[in-house]
Amino acid sequence: MFVEGSAIQIWISALLTLAILSVVYKDNPFYRFAEHVFVGCSMGYNVVVSWYSYGQPAITKSIMKEGKWLYIIPILLGMLVYTRYFKPIAWLSRYSIAFSIGYGSAYVLTRDTRSLILLPIVGTFKPLLVSGDIWQTFSNWVLVLGVVCTLVYFFFTTGRKGALGVGANIGKWVMMVALGSAFGNTVMARVSLFVGRLQFLLGKWLHVIKA
Amino acid sequence: MTFWDKAQNVDRRVIYTLLIAILAYILIKPIGLPILITKETKAAYDNLDKVPAGSIVWFSADYGATSIPELLPAQIATMRHAFKKNLRVVAGGMWNEAGNLADMVWQEVKKDFPDKKYGIDFVNVGYKPGGAVLLERMVNDAHQALLGVDFYGTNFAELPLMSEFKTFRDVKLIFEFTAGTPGEQDYMKMVTDPLRIPFSAACTAVSTPGIKPFVQSGQMQGLLMGMAGAAEYELLVGKPGTAIVSMDAQSAAHLLIILFILLGNVGYVITRKRPSARV
Repeated sequence: MFVEGSAIQIWISALLTLAILSVVYKDNPFYRFAEHVFVGCSMGYNVVVSWYSYGQPAITKSIMKEGKWLYIIPILLGMLVYTRYFKPIAWLSRYSIAFSIGYGSAYVLTRDTRSLILLPIVGTFKPLLVSGDIWQTFSNWVLVLGVVCTLVYFFFTTGRKGALGVGANIGKWVMMVALGSAFGNTVMARVSLFVGRLQFLLGKWLHVIKA
Repeated sequence: MTFWDKAQNVDRRVIYTLLIAILAYILIKPIGLPILITKETKAAYDNLDKVPAGSIVWFSADYGATSIPELLPAQIATMRHAFKKNLRVVAGGMWNEAGNLADMVWQEVKKDFPDKKYGIDFVNVGYKPGGAVLLERMVNDAHQALLGVDFYGTNFAELPLMSEFKTFRDVKLIFEFTAGTPGEQDYMKMVTDPLRIPFSAACTAVSTPGIKPFVQSGQMQGLLMGMAGAAEYELLVGKPGTAIVSMDAQSAAHLLIILFILLGNVGYVITRKRPSARV
């Protein structure tokens, strides 16, 4: 979109875009070629950018120049993952995986609870009567009832009869509305991406619109 | 086969052809439909607007090339706003295209702000891996966490702005452009919730339903939702960009999709009532 490119870059980009879009007609060799080019380029880009963003500075600057020798430990731990390719010493890779899982679990337990569970729950504690603002009062009721009824839907201990049945039914409708909203947003996102590509094709490539 | 039977089984190639034709036509001849500002976008604008001039803000580009149509216009519009307010921006990200994206934004925005200097008003620290662990380290020592070099390989010692950005505690606002994980949840867990740093985000439309509850809980003050959010921000900043231009096409595509959904559903209801359908 804003990338300045030579004519040959623009042509390559445009032809690959058309090749990828051709799948909407049916699967074909042009689509597969473009798909494989994309996967290969992404991997290559990832390796190079990771190396120059972190690998190289960690070794040449932090370790060699600043003498932070402790950095060698995580590097060695990371390299142990590749022992999986050599059967006799493949068991060594478990150390680095165990370390990541242990570290990751501790992070999840200590941080997720507050930010992703407690605070969003607190956010649903709304005043059910906002003086002078009927719309806000209505919105708060919708929110509180929606949360409670959705939770009731997932309450499986007793049969869904009476108030529980009504609540679960409302909860089901709330979830359907939420799924409809999610679908609408998905359509919007996909159309946005397609509009972006069309802007490129009509602008930078064909010069029909202002790029 | 009646019209209503056909309406339920429209060939996808017909739908795509119509979609391409309508989008292309609207992009060539825009209608200029009005754009309404949502309260989430206005809140994100106000959140950045009230940061005192001269402060440092952190822009995190946590998305890839596939989300450029939705998130790059948002990043450009917010950066323009930040420079208008004389804020200093440090940009980076946890996705491997972060450095290139921040560079694209800088190249675009500096055309309108020729007085802004790299290293003084803006620094691109590029992509740094580690997700939540990286962010936690940046809370204590950003220079060590970022290994002391920017996207172009320049030492932080040579960039005056970085002498004032030692940890996340030196930042007055975090603006994240997110298309997934690592993303906004890592910021809330590690940085903005514990340190109570003002936090806004721009997200892809597909992730809006998952992120919006955090605006409602107050953990995030503002949110730009997809390309529409970017267009609204461009409008607020007063510099129309690609998002505003795209909104007509977006609306036309939505109308077409709604039309097909309605046709299919009406067809379903009508054909269901036929005696032959009950056999």
